[in-house]
Amino acid sequence: MPHAIGADPRPRTRRSPDGRWRVAGLRCRACAEVAAYTWPVCPRCRGPVEPADFGPTGTVWSSTVVRIPVPGRTPPYALAYVDLDDGPRVLAHVVDAAEPATIGGRVRLTAPTADGDPRVEALA
Amino acid sequence: MSAVAVHGVGTSHFGRQPERDAIALAHDAVREALTDAGVDRVDAVWVGTVFGPAGVAQRTLRALGITGVPVLTVENACASGTTAFLEAHEAVRTGRYGRVLALGIEQMSTAFSGAITPEPSDPEQRGGLALPALYAMSAARYLHLGAVTPAELAAVSVKNHAHALHNPRAQYSGSYTVEQVLGSRMIADPLTVLQCCPTSDGAAAAVLAPATGGPREVRVRGAALRSGRVWDHSSPHVWGYDIVRDTTADALAAAGLHAATDVDVVEVHDAFTIGEIVTTEALGLVPEGAGGKAAAAGVTALGGTHPVNPSGGLLSRGHPLGATGLAQLAEITWQLRGEAGGRQVDGARLGLVETMGGGVSVLDGNACVVAVLEGP
Ligand SMILES: [Zn+2]
Repeated sequence: MPHAIGADPRPRTRRSPDGRWRVAGLRCRACAEVAAYTWPVCPRCRGPVEPADFGPTGTVWSSTVVRIPVPGRTPPYALAYVDLDDGPRVLAHVVDAAEPATIGGRVRLTAPTADGDPRVEALA
Repeated sequence: MSAVAVHGVGTSHFGRQPERDAIALAHDAVREALTDAGVDRVDAVWVGTVFGPAGVAQRTLRALGITGVPVLTVENACASGTTAFLEAHEAVRTGRYGRVLALGIEQMSTAFSGAITPEPSDPEQRGGLALPALYAMSAARYLHLGAVTPAELAAVSVKNHAHALHNPRAQYSGSYTVEQVLGSRMIADPLTVLQCCPTSDGAAAAVLAPATGGPREVRVRGAALRSGRVWDHSSPHVWGYDIVRDTTADALAAAGLHAATDVDVVEVHDAFTIGEIVTTEALGLVPEGAGGKAAAAGVTALGGTHPVNPSGGLLSRGHPLGATGLAQLAEITWQLRGEAGGRQVDGARLGLVETMGGGVSVLDGNACVVAVLEGP
C-alpha cells in the first residue's frame, strides 16, 4: 500500500436498544437528503445536518459477486447496493451469498463482517 | 481568444511493459507528437497521471530534454489525460501559453499485480468495491431492468476486439464470439474477463497551439469538464450516466453542435462493456436503453451509423489510466486526418472524445471530459 490506512471511512452500523442493526448517518435539515455518513454538511445542498439512524430493512438496488483477488479480501464475496427504507443507499456485504443477491429483494442489516463492513442478510 | 488546434499526436505501444520505465514510454509518445507537429520546443506542459509517484512528470520530462518550462500535473482518475488536454487547450485559447504539450503517463504493471488496489480512504473502496464491481453493479441493474441482455454486453467486447485487429498499438485484439466472451472467466458478476479492460502501461501526448488552417491541423471545436454531483438512492440513472450526459451537452454547446449524432466517429470510455453501452446512451448517440441493441446490431461498429471506439477502446487498446484520454485524442486526430489505416471511418470530419473517471463514493464520477474535434 502506498500509504497508511487512516480513520475508517465506512458507514458505521450499530445495534439499537431494540436489538436491530442500524446505520448511523445524517439527514439534511434543509433539503431532507440522507446519507450513511457523518459528514459536516449536506453533500447535496451544503445545508445543516443532524444525526440520523437508518435501517434495519431495505431493498437491493443492485448486486454482484467479486471473484478476483482484491488486496485484503478473500474472493468470492458478495456485495449489494441496498436502499435502506426511508434512508440512503449503502454498500453492504451479503451473508452467505454464492450468487448475487436478488435485485429488488428485501434485506436486513445484521452484524458487520469481521473486517468491519456493513452487512445484510436476505429476508425470506 | 484563439481557435486552438491539435498540431501533433503520439503514443507509445500499449500493454504490459514492466521492463520499460515512464521515461521510455513518454519518450515514444512525446517524440512522435513533436515530430508530427514539426516542432522541437513547447512553452508549457500539462501531465495527466493517476498512480505516478510524486515528481513523475518532471522526472520524465527532464530525461526528454524538456526543462525550464512550467510543468503542471493533474489527476482526475481515468480522465486525467483528457483533463491535461482540456487545460492545455484552455491555456492556448486564452493566450496564456503559445504552444503546449499535453502528456499522459501511466505504468500500472509495476504498481498492481491484478485489479487496481481499492483506495482505503474511500468508504466503498475500503468496503471491497473494486472498480470492476462498481461497473458490475450498473451491468446487473441494466440486466434487471431489461435494458440490456448478456449477449448485448458481450457484443461490445466482440466489436472492440475486432476493431483492434487493425490497431498495431493495441494491447489485445481478436476475433471472439459472444459465446467466448460470456464463457470467459467471471470477474464480478455479470462481467467476464473479456468485458474488462486490462492492466496496461503506456503514454500518449498531443501538441496544442493556435489554429493556422494547416492541412494536418485538427481543430478543437469545444471541450468541457464536469465533476460529479451526488449519486445515491434518489438518482434516476446508473452511476456515471448523468455526468456524461451533462458534460456532453456542455461540449456540444461549446462546439456549436446540436447533438452527438452530428459527429462521424467517437472514442468513449469503455473500461467495461457496460460503460460503453451507458455512455453511448448518455451521449445521445442512441436512445436510453438502446445502447446494447445498437452494439449487437453493428450500429456502433466500423461501417455502422455511429462508429464507437475504432481503436479498440480501453477494452482492447488497453487502459493506462493517465494516458488513456490522450490515446483517445490521438485516435480521433488520426481518424480526422484520414490516417487511421484499416480502421479508418470513411470521410470522418467531426470526432468526439469522452473520458470518465471515477471511484469516489457518493459521486457520479470524479470527472468527465468531452471534447469535439474537426478535421482539416
Ligand atoms: Zn441538503
